[in-house]
Amino acid sequence: MNIRKLAMVLLFVSPLMPHSQAEIKHIEMRVEGMT
Amino acid sequence: MKQHLGRQVGVQNVEVSLRDGKVDITPKEDGRIDPAQLLKATYDSGVSVAEMDMTVRGKIVKDETGTLSLQSSPNQSFALADNDLSRSLTTLAGSTTQVTVRGQLYKKAAGKKKASALYPLKFVVLQVEKQE
Repeated sequence: MNIRKLAMVLLFVSPLMPHSQAEIKHIEMRVEGMT
Repeated sequence: MKQHLGRQVGVQNVEVSLRDGKVDITPKEDGRIDPAQLLKATYDSGVSVAEMDMTVRGKIVKDETGTLSLQSSPNQSFALADNDLSRSLTTLAGSTTQVTVRGQLYKKAAGKKKASALYPLKFVVLQVEKQE
């Protein structure tokens, strides 16, 4: 496999891959003074 | 407030319940949301935040001072407040294990109308939901 081709594929595909890193799933706030 | 919060970076959806003063925020898929910025944006819209809870997935890391943090992305981490649950996560420090925890990042001090200092925020682990 051509290494250069493989590198190019990874370069273009990686932004489309789901973010497998950790993340904030949900935030909940209780607020006061809301009308 | 709903519109103001909805314009913040990383926010996908905001649900506001006027009856019980609850605000539910769903982050975008990339999870690049800044809770401190959300607190500020909420205060800027004229209401005060009593509590902020969140569910975060990340790795446990320990810095050179021995402080445990939950790293949710390469450039975002939350220092863990010391309690039994956070101590139970010590063994995972430096490992590749991903944990999903629910906890409280902010609680307004009793009797205060407005937060005196939003920084530094410490994440109080209330429940360890998953380890993978």
